[in-house]
Amino acid sequence: MNKTFKRKIATRLQNPSRVGFLSLTVPVLHWGLLLGLVLLGVFSVGYKPDLDLGSLVHLNGFTLLIGITVALLGAIISQYAKNYLNGFEFQERFMGLTLGFTLSVLLLVAAESLAILVLAWMSMGFHMTRLIGIDSRWSEAKEAGRVSGRYFGGSSLLLTVAIGILALQTGAFTLSELLSNLDRIPKALQLLSALLLIASAVIQSALFPFHRWLLSSMTAPTPASGLMHAGFVNGAGVLLTLFAPLMLKTQTLPLLLILGGSTAIIAQFSKLIQVQAKHKLACSTIAQMGFMVMQCGLGFFNAAVAHLILHGLYKAYLFLSVGEGMTQAHPSRTPHIHISLIQGVVVGIYGVGGALLFSLLTGKGNSWDSGLFLSMIVALTVGQLTYNVVKQKSLSTAQRLWLPPVVFSLAIGLYSLLYSGVTSLLSGMPGVLQPQPISITHVVFAMLFIIGFFVMKLGLYHKYPGIYVKLMNLTQPVPTTILAAKTNPK
Amino acid sequence: MKLDALHSLIEQAGQVIGKTWPLYGFVTSNPLSGYEHIPFHKALPEAMLQLGNSVYPKAETFRKAYTYGEIAHEILIPLLEKNGIHESPEYCLQLMESDHDLEIQNPNQLELNRICSKWLAAFLDEGVSEWTMPGREQGFYAAWRNLAKYDRDLELFSNSHIPKTAAEAITLALGDVPEEIKLSVLKSHLAALPGWTGYIKYRMETHTAWQEQFPITLKEYLGVRLWIAKILNLDIKQENNETPENDTTGLLSHLWLTAWEMTWQRTLLGALKTAKHSTDAAKVKLAAQFVFCIDTRSEVIRRHLEKQGPYQTYGYAGFFGIAMDYKHPNSGVVRKSCPPILPSAYEVCESALPERQQDFKLFQKRTNNRNFFTYLLKRMKNMLPATFGYVEGTGIGYGFAMFIRTIVPGFLYRRLHNANPAVEGVCEPKLMPKNMVNDHSEIPLSEKVAIVGSAFKLMGWREFAPLVFFVGHGSHTANNPFGSSLDCGACAAGAGRHNARMLARLANEPAVRQALNHEAGIQIPETTVFVAGEHNTTTDEVTFFKGDIPEGHGPQIKKISEDLTRVQQQVTQERMPFAHRSVNTAERQAGDWSETRPEWGLAKNAGFVIGPRSLTEKINLEGRCFLHSYRWDLDPEGEALEAILQGPMVVTQWINNHYYFSAVNPQNFGSGSKITQNPVGQFGVVQGNGGDLKYGLPLQSLYISDRESYHEPLRLSVFIQAPRNWVSRILNRHENLKNLIANQWIHAVVLEPEQANKAYACTPNLDWEPIEPQIAHEAELEENEVAHLVFAQ
Repeated sequence: MNKTFKRKIATRLQNPSRVGFLSLTVPVLHWGLLLGLVLLGVFSVGYKPDLDLGSLVHLNGFTLLIGITVALLGAIISQYAKNYLNGFEFQERFMGLTLGFTLSVLLLVAAESLAILVLAWMSMGFHMTRLIGIDSRWSEAKEAGRVSGRYFGGSSLLLTVAIGILALQTGAFTLSELLSNLDRIPKALQLLSALLLIASAVIQSALFPFHRWLLSSMTAPTPASGLMHAGFVNGAGVLLTLFAPLMLKTQTLPLLLILGGSTAIIAQFSKLIQVQAKHKLACSTIAQMGFMVMQCGLGFFNAAVAHLILHGLYKAYLFLSVGEGMTQAHPSRTPHIHISLIQGVVVGIYGVGGALLFSLLTGKGNSWDSGLFLSMIVALTVGQLTYNVVKQKSLSTAQRLWLPPVVFSLAIGLYSLLYSGVTSLLSGMPGVLQPQPISITHVVFAMLFIIGFFVMKLGLYHKYPGIYVKLMNLTQPVPTTILAAKTNPK
Repeated sequence: MKLDALHSLIEQAGQVIGKTWPLYGFVTSNPLSGYEHIPFHKALPEAMLQLGNSVYPKAETFRKAYTYGEIAHEILIPLLEKNGIHESPEYCLQLMESDHDLEIQNPNQLELNRICSKWLAAFLDEGVSEWTMPGREQGFYAAWRNLAKYDRDLELFSNSHIPKTAAEAITLALGDVPEEIKLSVLKSHLAALPGWTGYIKYRMETHTAWQEQFPITLKEYLGVRLWIAKILNLDIKQENNETPENDTTGLLSHLWLTAWEMTWQRTLLGALKTAKHSTDAAKVKLAAQFVFCIDTRSEVIRRHLEKQGPYQTYGYAGFFGIAMDYKHPNSGVVRKSCPPILPSAYEVCESALPERQQDFKLFQKRTNNRNFFTYLLKRMKNMLPATFGYVEGTGIGYGFAMFIRTIVPGFLYRRLHNANPAVEGVCEPKLMPKNMVNDHSEIPLSEKVAIVGSAFKLMGWREFAPLVFFVGHGSHTANNPFGSSLDCGACAAGAGRHNARMLARLANEPAVRQALNHEAGIQIPETTVFVAGEHNTTTDEVTFFKGDIPEGHGPQIKKISEDLTRVQQQVTQERMPFAHRSVNTAERQAGDWSETRPEWGLAKNAGFVIGPRSLTEKINLEGRCFLHSYRWDLDPEGEALEAILQGPMVVTQWINNHYYFSAVNPQNFGSGSKITQNPVGQFGVVQGNGGDLKYGLPLQSLYISDRESYHEPLRLSVFIQAPRNWVSRILNRHENLKNLIANQWIHAVVLEPEQANKAYACTPNLDWEPIEPQIAHEAELEENEVAHLVFAQ
């Protein structure tokens, strides 16, 4: 083999192509940030981290918790993108925006100054808009960027007005000052700013009817979607938790319950009709965000924070592995399986057992309050699990009996661990755990969830083609963000 | 309009679109196969008009090839002049550079396309949605008709005005369209969403299980589309009928492309001429023979393997001559495992080896449990409100898995790869006639003999080593919707391992050997054993299915395994010259979920050599050539050659043309960048938020980066060592082969064996024109830096 030949081959086979500066450094920075925050957390075990750095930023348990979560997600996603986006024209820009996004979230949860809080919120929206429209050669992407820009711009505006009203009325510049002086504000203005704040939050979390931007955002490269669905959309959870006292004072929790609960139900049904993988995930995200807001509405802001962390991990994984599952399937209807009485009894016992274990470990549902709602969810989940396992023929009878309790105990145990961690980290924050007395709204939504469960279980929805088409149209992306031409690289 | 007339009109219009294969069996075919009856350079402008796509390599690509000497100056200039162009190459390049992609945008049809895509995606789904489109079993038109009144996009309040049948709808919609442009109107509507319509075409032609249950035809689609257009009050006639006036850049591009191909041919011929030919006779006793697929990736591994010891390698189509479907014991799904151009005559299914019954039961149980687990997760994710509890209970697990998959993908691959309990260990394949699968009876002896006999005949086999390996190939990649595009093209984008196992089993049967000896005069020594194996093209590991090997071959097998490990090291190093530990890198790429370029597949393919291995043995072909073993002197009637041209050559043409078009236009003929793809229906991808189904290879299969291409879009040059008149005779006998060569979709070059392999190229009139090899001298190369096409000697 002669020399020239060798050299030539080398340039031709160059793979991967050159990795840029940011692509090399941003993952490292994220891992470093993660390590730093974890160490900080470890050192502050025992005494509550509550560090006030003047009137601009603070560092408390919530800051650490959300900081660690977003640093972990940012680290994994940028590490993934370093390889995945290799050769992409805008890889460097992607890395820069990812870092910018992580820092914006950190700033949001560390903000003591109200101005910084609003700016951080705007900055999150700005970075996400740029990530959605990152491929500037592609008109669909540019259009999708514009669409999301309008939503996030609206959200920022509403937040600015809400906080503006509160700040003007209390004369406060910092968050803690504001929250402790809420009483000074007239009731009507309290309510107005709470409503504006809620609107701002649910736009970012893509709750109905503000969900279109999320369904039009698939022009973002896959890892950017991961960041969006695991990080960005949690905005509502973070914002509502920060302003929990305002929500309690204005008695807007039922509104959150209704907004979140109905979104959760509609979006979960919409998910069933999706045929595009990323849109299926998006509908799932909308439903989960609905559930998160509903948890806030039940007075369990800490549970909402636990949910947003766990959902973030779950959804990031599903986005990063979205290329899996190209398999040839056989057209078959799900077999309708009858369950025997004794199996039904097992399902019931395990369901109740799961709920009791959950109550025992988390303290939710111990008393006659809105916590019961969450226990009911656990009972239905465990019941569903047991139902599937006990009728599985390839498992032995013994396996069918011991598998469900082992699995659900493990899952509930892990969850409770995280939940207590979250609760203790959030214990310094006012109003994050305020179980509500059972009301008619709770009962109605509990019924709706149970009805939804049976409609799905029995496949009753198949009888309503009109609803099928409604949901299909409801979950279409904005028309201008599809089918515009993509030009070839020059 | 009469119904028959309408049908033939639709069929004719359907020629403008290619076929879209599902990604679980991604067949690389020519997207312009409907144009093969006209010459390449005339078909392209027409297709461009219809599909609005650019069809030639970019000027930039030509410029690079020209600077590297891959387009030789002394070939280009005469070619340009012969066509009346006397400008300098630089001027030509500038002219081509000034020509921009024309973006044919039809704003009026955007809405129409959007609504059609919406319904098509819903109807064609193959298992993603749990709530499927209501009434699918009545067929596309009827199902849509029943739902249209609910569709807010259409603002209808009842379906009473929609015609009952698609034919009626089309006829009414075409009412005032003049007879003479009806065809072009239908063409333009089919070509508006070529990916989706291509998939309808695929379903219509292959009668998949989905098609049987939920039928859809081009006619039904046109009925829906034209009627929606009518409801939206769109003019269905608008199309762009202007022929390009005086297409200079088209002509220039075509000439430059031709010059590039001619340069490549001549350089290869030069290498063939200067390379020392080995003489068969003086070989030491053969230890083993290996049969690899004709795939370009086999060339690299064969070259390295041959150097390891007394080994001989052959090239044969990777389906090993068995036109079969394979029934998967895991899923029960039957999938095609032979070239799509061949109807499957057989079905192979697995049954437990007598001594492994117990293990087989265990295997089945594991399979069932795995399937159950998948189902359980899906249910838990879908069900209200279990999904919320599920996410909270498993989130930490997902987080952990995500961490591991990102941090140690290579380690994970090695662990999972080795732990995989394989069906090969516990089962044996059984070959049954396709139409008698239920009888569980094997095919008759005569057919077995025919299958085995024709393998050796086609390859021109003479003597048998004690061990003969049939090595199929498959790729191993993670999180890759296009995984099957890296598998064996001759097995309809599946791994060839089961075909290899089947052939090995047949060839080991004493009755088959006896009959071969009696009927075909092929003598297989009693000591010879046939063993099946698989070449993992992502890591270049070769594994054997050891079940077939009788006692006593231990030491030989051990030696061969060691040699193969060395070969893996060398081959991966050649593929990835910069990797420090190339095998590790390859394994990392196979298991890494963030890898968009796990291997290059068949990129850079440019040639197909039909002849004995001795012809090319001493040349480094850089993995750019398909190789089919063939001995013209053992094929007096030319029958084997005819079979090779009809089968393998057509498959390589499909692959080559597909790579060509996906490379010259990655957004439209290809499926664009993987990073913004959105999987749809478990069989395809769309870009971003939706729209047309994508039907080609992704950008990452052909490009190093968004700008820099890896694949060189050359039309395939088929080099055949056989007398010219044989080839002429075969071409004249088969219209489709004649079309491919005469219309220059691929090139044929004959190496005339009676004239010391003097080369002749086939012209569009099917005459033979002598061509001169270009022999590169090393000294000259150093000077001019034009080394890329120089082959190591």
